[in-house]
Amino acid sequence: MELVLIALLGGGLALDATSVGQFMLSRPLVTGALTGWMLGDPALGLMIGTVLELYLLVSFPSGGARFPEATTATVVAVATASVSTAPGAIPLAIAIGLAWGQVGGFSITALRKVNGFIVPEAADPNAGASRVAAAHLGAIVLDFLRGVLITGVGVAIGRLVVARLAVAWPLGEREGFALMLAGAAVSVGILLHDLGGFRERRVLFVAGLALGIVGVRLL
Amino acid sequence: MSALSRRAMTSTFLRAFLVQGSWNYHTMLGTGFAFAILPGLKQIFDDDPESMDTSVRRHLDHFNAHPYLANVALGAALRLEADGTDAQTVRRFKTAVRGPLGGLGDSLIWAAWLPTVSMTALALWWIGLPGWVVVAGFLALYNAGHLALRVWGFRAGLQSGRDVARSLREARLSQLGSRIQSVASLLVGVLTGAVLAGQGGLSEAGLPWLILAIGCFVAGLLVGHRVWRPTAIAIVCAITLIAAWGVLP
Repeated sequence: MELVLIALLGGGLALDATSVGQFMLSRPLVTGALTGWMLGDPALGLMIGTVLELYLLVSFPSGGARFPEATTATVVAVATASVSTAPGAIPLAIAIGLAWGQVGGFSITALRKVNGFIVPEAADPNAGASRVAAAHLGAIVLDFLRGVLITGVGVAIGRLVVARLAVAWPLGEREGFALMLAGAAVSVGILLHDLGGFRERRVLFVAGLALGIVGVRLL
Repeated sequence: MSALSRRAMTSTFLRAFLVQGSWNYHTMLGTGFAFAILPGLKQIFDDDPESMDTSVRRHLDHFNAHPYLANVALGAALRLEADGTDAQTVRRFKTAVRGPLGGLGDSLIWAAWLPTVSMTALALWWIGLPGWVVVAGFLALYNAGHLALRVWGFRAGLQSGRDVARSLREARLSQLGSRIQSVASLLVGVLTGAVLAGQGGLSEAGLPWLILAIGCFVAGLLVGHRVWRPTAIAIVCAITLIAAWGVLP
């Protein structure tokens, strides 16, 4: 029953990424917190959501872009980590989330190809209001079902992997977390690159760096 | 304009939230655009179902734009239809605006507003604010900008019709995007500082992790998006190998 509820949550939140609204409920930060809250551990959800948000800072739900699917990846990662308290559970869940995000991305591309067959053509003389509405809403339902399927399968596989491997994780909790953060630093670098590069933005970046270091020391 | 009721306009505006629902590689937002404009067309062509279907088919053509700024085109197209503008002009107008609305929206929202709000939330979480405050603040701040842009875009389109380009110019959205990007650059620094120096941060984990993080950061800074996937694959492989190492007898 829990797996079904998680899959439905994944399907519902995945709709927000492109099909419905784009209110950013689908961002890892929010999705992680919601999934953790649903599973009774919001702190775990938020922690995983934060790490995945860092990784996916540069993955935008831009219409035509091919991107890893952040939403189902986050739901899968949180639901996977929640089955074990071993120190390896979180790094493994993040790895599963990152890998599953690619699978989610492929499924979006496949769905968009399918959508191309179900939407009516402008040249079709039978394409009227009701047909347009039916095709459009049908595509949204398909996206929901895709999200449910991707989440459900991902959680089932992820939980098996974590149950088998997490207990034997040889590193400490701190090292595992440091490994995840170190990898996420690439996205922060890419973001600064997109914002004009270090040369262009160095004054603001260095000022922010100082502010961040002083801020965490003071608070 | 008088032909359009508040109900039809509201319904069209609300349907715009679903404009990407049937996104496909053939017409992109085309079907979503036709779906969203339907309530307005139904009212305009109330007593002429044949003309309405013809108009619906016209809007099924290929169309693409940033989903929030698609509201500008939607409002303007609705205005043109209400004014009885000929089909060719409506089609030409949509073709002319789709590129600018895509580029402007991408640079303003995906490359500026979303990362800025995300980094604000991440930095606040790292500094130690309660999680629910961070999540609620993220959603409230992001959607304040998001909804304001949607409402402004739809109104600008409805009011200006074919002259909506002037409203876009006067709004100085690209300059606004550039200013937001400056804030984002500052926040990249704040977040980096917080992750380096904060409790449980990289400085506490030891030098090897710090060097690895700096290497990843520099790679991202120099190479850009091309390095994201290889890094993600490397991290997944590293975690898998470490886990496998633990299982080995």
